[in-house]
Amino acid sequence: MAGDEIKIEDISKPSKQMIKLRLEDLMPLPPPYDKPGMEPELTDPKPEWREKYVTELDGYIAIDVPFKPKTKEEEEKLVKSFLEGLQKLVSKEGNWTFLQPLLLSLEYCAKCHTCSEACPIYVSSGRKEIYRPTYRAEVLRRIWKRYLTPAGKTFGKFVSGDIELNGTTIMRLAELAYRCTLCRRCTQTCPIGVDNGLITHEIRKLFSQEMGIAPKAIHELGTVQHLKVGSSTGMTPDGIKDIIEFIEDDIEEKLGRRIEIPVDEKGADILLIHNAGEFLSWPENPAAFAILFEEAGISWTLSSEALGYDGVNYGVWYDDVQLARIAVRHAEIARKLDVNKIVIGECGHAHKALTVIADRVLHDELNIPRESCLPILWDIVRKKKLNLDPEKNNFPVTLHDPCNIVRLMGIVEPQRKILKEICPQFREMSPNGVYNYCCGGGSGFAIMNSMNFPEWRAKVSVRMKCKQILSAFQDCIDPSIDKYVCAPCSNCKGAIRDILEHYQLTQNCSIYYGGLVELMVNAMVDLEEPFLEF
Amino acid sequence: MGISALQLSSYVAFAVFVIVVAAKWRKWASMPLHLRWELYPVPHEAGKHHYGGSYLEEVDWWKKPRHTTLAGELKDMLAEMLFIKRVYVYKRPLWWLTYPFHAGIYLILVWFALLVVHGILNVYVSIPALDSIVKVLIQITGTIGIIAATLGCLGLLFRRLSDSAMKKYSSGVEYFNLLFILVVLLTGIAVWMNDTSFENAMAYMTALVSFGSVEAPQLSQLAQFHVVLMALLWMYIPFTKMSHFVGKYFTFHKVLWEDEPNLRGSKLEAKVREAVRQRMPWSAPHLKKGKTWLENAAEVE
Repeated sequence: MAGDEIKIEDISKPSKQMIKLRLEDLMPLPPPYDKPGMEPELTDPKPEWREKYVTELDGYIAIDVPFKPKTKEEEEKLVKSFLEGLQKLVSKEGNWTFLQPLLLSLEYCAKCHTCSEACPIYVSSGRKEIYRPTYRAEVLRRIWKRYLTPAGKTFGKFVSGDIELNGTTIMRLAELAYRCTLCRRCTQTCPIGVDNGLITHEIRKLFSQEMGIAPKAIHELGTVQHLKVGSSTGMTPDGIKDIIEFIEDDIEEKLGRRIEIPVDEKGADILLIHNAGEFLSWPENPAAFAILFEEAGISWTLSSEALGYDGVNYGVWYDDVQLARIAVRHAEIARKLDVNKIVIGECGHAHKALTVIADRVLHDELNIPRESCLPILWDIVRKKKLNLDPEKNNFPVTLHDPCNIVRLMGIVEPQRKILKEICPQFREMSPNGVYNYCCGGGSGFAIMNSMNFPEWRAKVSVRMKCKQILSAFQDCIDPSIDKYVCAPCSNCKGAIRDILEHYQLTQNCSIYYGGLVELMVNAMVDLEEPFLEF
Repeated sequence: MGISALQLSSYVAFAVFVIVVAAKWRKWASMPLHLRWELYPVPHEAGKHHYGGSYLEEVDWWKKPRHTTLAGELKDMLAEMLFIKRVYVYKRPLWWLTYPFHAGIYLILVWFALLVVHGILNVYVSIPALDSIVKVLIQITGTIGIIAATLGCLGLLFRRLSDSAMKKYSSGVEYFNLLFILVVLLTGIAVWMNDTSFENAMAYMTALVSFGSVEAPQLSQLAQFHVVLMALLWMYIPFTKMSHFVGKYFTFHKVLWEDEPNLRGSKLEAKVREAVRQRMPWSAPHLKKGKTWLENAAEVE
């Protein structure tokens, strides 16, 4: 099927694939990507994948754990387990964490589709019906009404619409829960306040908390590894100490003098927690933080205790219990270090998980104040604690707004004020601020790399951000001019790295990316050589 | 004199409406504390709402007083309630249908209220000058209201039948709801065409307000049919998602704009302490079914 004539009830009907994406259907990109041959073609899933994994939705596989029922009995078991989970999801006992928001969103959708055009995935895909923000929500709503409400049980289709709960429905719904980045841009447009992002989150939760089904990158290699080893990257407490030493060497090379990065210092004002991915993929980011905090005379420390050096919390995307477990560990580490507050580095979901969501989990001695790094960074610039020369950043810079920090926390201005001070050629993307588009790597997508999921991410999920980046630099798109996308979020940087690689934006347009602190250090007068390398 | 069966149906309908709406309100208001899930812009953020900012933009935000503005919240609420702003901004073609429909209903509600005022002025307090103004307002709100609501309702029904996206997502009850309202509006128009100055409506409401001390007018069969249908609609609405006027308060005020921080020693912290002591019934292998949330968070294998 082309994808736009799909009906809700089609999710239950067995077929090889509900839709097949085609390059010509996808949202066009601005110049120089408006010509054919500028981006790789789409591929088909390998036949052997179809045996074990769910390719029946769109041919792409997000959930890389096999849960396909092979027999009628297995299918019945799957259906039973799903219904039991759904019952818990809509009960006070099972879901105090999100019951009210979920039931409000299930009950009051007017199906006006005011939200559809706000969704970057739906629009980027060429408006494929299954990606419409209301599609998966309506599937869950119909199942809930039909099987669990008195009205649905009494009046059937008349009230709940057409839907059949079978193995196919459940398999596809599980995959479909991983075709939304939970950016909640759709919710901003709803006249009733219905939250399709939340419904997606709750579907993921049902699969994880009741059925133990979630992508490996998020669960097994994510939260489980995080709690067991200390980091979702697999980095151990010994590993982080080695990396910190390496970063100190690197700083010495660039700054001309050594900075001792404080680790496990009791009684410091701030416990700074980075996304551990920064240490491995972008060590210049924690290095820049160390330089800025030391130069500004801030009392701070890192932690080398398991979990204390990795601020990520993948639980926020799919599992409330895993979320709580990780948040509690983070707070315990801060308590033991006797710091005044936890500051989150440039990681969007770590911001939201620990500062906002876990605000209703932590209490008493674990209720330690938590804040974003961005206001502190602006404070450093505003109070002129550093000698900064904007001319050192005299190249086109645009800002990506991480959804978790901006739309979901309301931290909008500090990062802009900094860029306006230190980047003479700063320009906004459109739209921006709380109305920004997700990077496309949100809700775990940036770290989910099994089988053909990266292709879906590159073609559909990040496409809107690719369009925005190209549009922001149209006046200087010539590759002779170096350009910088500032993304103060580790996850977003991962997604933007994918954009740059897949569409070859660096090669074709000289577009680079990085965080905010790197730009700040690059502007420091004391630094003889540029901190940024491009 | 006394109370007729028709009048009784009006009283019952109003009572059912009020009781069920109150019960729904209570249901939503008594829901357990949920995790924070706000969405910006949050309109009560004083000085920051215009760009979507929050108190989290401040260093040491927990040490500073929070500046909130009720006016900001009211402004946002009223723009949505009175003008359906989000549909106007994000889906203009639909707004041209849904706005007359909702505005028409609001005017009809105002018309009802004015009928009650008129009844009170005739039964209990006599202020002729005010009554003259009320009569004019009844004329204006009733006429514009019923026409706007009917046109909007027809438009919405047509759109739901013709727009493939809306059609795919609509179940039988969604068409039934619109049809039900349409029938009530059309019978209302038919009654109004024989009583363009709403004399019968005013007399009927006066009798209702008098609780049997003023005689009700003789209504035509059509008018009686309309009154019965209207009563059924009043009783039906609270049981359906057409009562989204209740839900909407909670989606915005208790979820999307709910940004109260959990400060040490606060009442909220006590609620959190209570919430995490609940038992956790989920069955996945990585969880400890039957133990509390607190125990689950503390014990990891």
